[in-house]
Amino acid sequence: MFELTVILKQPKQKSRIGAAKGRDSMASALAGLVPLSFLLLLVGCASRPLYPLPGKRYDASKKPLQTFRPYNLAHRGSNGEFPEETAAAYMRAIEEGADFIEGDVLASKDGVLIMQHDVTLDDTTDIAEHKEFANRKRTCNVQGTNTTGFFHFDFTLEELKSLGVKQRYPFRDQQYNGKFPIITFKEFISIALDAPRVVGIYPEIKNPAMVNQYVKWPGGKKFEDKFVETLHKYGYRGEYMSKQWLKQPAFIQSFAPTSLIYVSNLTDLPKVFLIDDITIPTQDTNQSYWEVTSDKYLNFIKNYVMGIGPWKDTIVYVSENYLQPPTDLVARAHALNLQVHPYTYRNENQFLHFNFSQDPYKEYDYWINTIGVDGLFTDFTGSLHQYQEWTTPSPSGEKSATKLLDKIGSMISKYRNPQT
Amino acid sequence: MTSVPGTVSSILLLLLVECAARPFYPLPSRRNDRSKQPLQTFRPYNIAHRGSSGEFPEETASAYKRAIEEGADFIETDILASKDGILICFHDLTLDATTDIAQHKKFESRKRTYEVQGKNITGYFTIDFTLEELKSLRVNQRSPFRDQQYNGKFSIIIFEDFISIALGAPRVVGIYPEIKNPVFINQHVKWPIGKKFEDKFVDTLKKYGYKGTYLSKQWLKQPAFIQSFAPTSLIYISHLTDLPKILLIDDATTPTQDTNQSYWEITSNSYFDFIKDYVVGIGPWKDSIVPASNNYLQTPTDLVTRSHAYNLQVHPFTCRNENVFLHFNFSQDPYNEYDYWIKKIGVDGLFTDFTGSLHHYQEWTNPFSMGEESASKLLDKIAYMISKFRNSYN
Repeated sequence: MFELTVILKQPKQKSRIGAAKGRDSMASALAGLVPLSFLLLLVGCASRPLYPLPGKRYDASKKPLQTFRPYNLAHRGSNGEFPEETAAAYMRAIEEGADFIEGDVLASKDGVLIMQHDVTLDDTTDIAEHKEFANRKRTCNVQGTNTTGFFHFDFTLEELKSLGVKQRYPFRDQQYNGKFPIITFKEFISIALDAPRVVGIYPEIKNPAMVNQYVKWPGGKKFEDKFVETLHKYGYRGEYMSKQWLKQPAFIQSFAPTSLIYVSNLTDLPKVFLIDDITIPTQDTNQSYWEVTSDKYLNFIKNYVMGIGPWKDTIVYVSENYLQPPTDLVARAHALNLQVHPYTYRNENQFLHFNFSQDPYKEYDYWINTIGVDGLFTDFTGSLHQYQEWTTPSPSGEKSATKLLDKIGSMISKYRNPQT
Repeated sequence: MTSVPGTVSSILLLLLVECAARPFYPLPSRRNDRSKQPLQTFRPYNIAHRGSSGEFPEETASAYKRAIEEGADFIETDILASKDGILICFHDLTLDATTDIAQHKKFESRKRTYEVQGKNITGYFTIDFTLEELKSLRVNQRSPFRDQQYNGKFSIIIFEDFISIALGAPRVVGIYPEIKNPVFINQHVKWPIGKKFEDKFVDTLKKYGYKGTYLSKQWLKQPAFIQSFAPTSLIYISHLTDLPKILLIDDATTPTQDTNQSYWEITSNSYFDFIKDYVVGIGPWKDSIVPASNNYLQTPTDLVTRSHAYNLQVHPFTCRNENVFLHFNFSQDPYNEYDYWIKKIGVDGLFTDFTGSLHHYQEWTNPFSMGEESASKLLDKIAYMISKFRNSYN
């Protein structure tokens, strides 16, 4: 490309210096140069760039997804440290070692898929400070409850982008409030693809009944169609653990079984069936917790999903902030070859049952070693990663061997130098 | 008929021999020390602050036993005194925050106001209750966000009970008692023949065989650190025992209770140069080593560097798991805090309310190896690593 500019610059200089004298001869020379430059332009654009962008790097050079220990699922990114579902939260999660970055997909008024958990913008954005939107407040029925607020489907993408995301919990770091915008599903995917190692995505088809009710797409397409289209556009495909899947790992999750069954006709990517609290029926089929966790139902749904994502307190009940004996949900799921990815793990002691002595690592230990889950949704990617690296480190051949030698060396040296 | 007096005397003789003979199965606390796993000295000390006070009401037998179970190197306590001069394990001068004193109507009239380090404090003071009366109370979990299920179940213990718990442990566990509020205690509690609080404190340690300089053979059998905020008490007892002593340092606004010296004076190089002849280390409040602003750590001060230059150890207080106590740099993760203090700042010991968590951190990042056990552990680890790879291809 730069050769072209050099060629273009030279005639200009010449014409400035010998403007009066050489203008005629210069014109004919230029005429000859034009087809040549077009040819070079064509060649230049067709050739592969010498330094590929990170997102287009040849996959074989990227460190692959680990598959030997339970998955570290960055729930809404590293939202223990950054406002949820922002680019910063996702990039931090990747930095901290996440296997998958997780997010909830909803849609804007103009049908753009966005990363946002709540159907209302009140708790996680500065919408209240935007007087220009004050009249957009309304009341809608959300899964049987009347909810008042600013709904995502009442705002175009441009309007949503004018908002600033804030940290949901007051006891977490507030310093980034208002600094980051809502991102789109495409931006979320780009962050994953651009990572220096293979990082999977774990998007949720969120509140599909409500989204399809309020947002319409051309050509009769539904929310689920646009969702899968986006994944296809970025090359996500393949069954669980297939070669293609391992290059760009993805799980599709949803609380709505009909949506999962619907997309199973569109993509063979692995799907996970999310299960809410025992008091909440499914939003699309109005089935109770007991029905969707029965052997009969699991036997049925296993043809469409490869795992379930239950709320952890339904796997092991809690009484007076103490764990009760575990239910058989994990055992039964595993018997049907269904993975279990419970949600959600949080470091703060208010979320930790007393068995864990206010220690989040004790909770990880219980779920991974005592219950035996296959993945964990956590708000604190770094803590789970640290726990896993300390207790079941990634083996890496030569690196591991030298690490072992270092370890032995330090063990011996400590004996030689006791504290004086 | 054989002579009865002859049988009786032989029975008496046997009885004598029996009583003199050593029992075949010695009590745990009298076990030959060599069979006990020794104190670790290769990594910073895990000091169980008031026992495992994150899980059990502080300074109770259960809190201490739990701490030992969880791997504490030292169990820590505060020594105060009852009205009748018995040394008890208790932190506050008043009983209000950690006991059910309010439910004991018969003690209502004992509420008093005393001046403590320049401030008037009102409450039920330990020095106004005999040991028997204190024993009728029950200890509660101080922090409302911690497990309340043991409230009303345990009683206050005495210094001697605390020592017995340490000596009764299946491995060598050190003690870390504090001469607490000595100025106040000596003002209000009198012992016979003119003995002071500090004298009784050291008497108790000696009674149970605690002696020796830091890392000496005797010390390693029964490790102990004596701590206090009052330098004169530490200097006074240095004539009574060669056990290692630690000078506790309060935050920057609080002067010493006995010498009224400021934080800046007692952390100066000249003071370190002086006090190092009496103590082996200092115990500062951790936020004065590295101040925090808007719940973020600032640049560390040079306190640890200067202490180490004078060969003084640093044991900061107090690490706690709950996020309300963690600065944002640590991402609500207590292990990140341990990592910071141990690896970045390089302290020599940590007072923690969560013995188990600190022990896990140390075992995972700096494990205690024991030769053969470690070798087979390594083999297990390798086998485990291989098995995981095999399973992932299913």
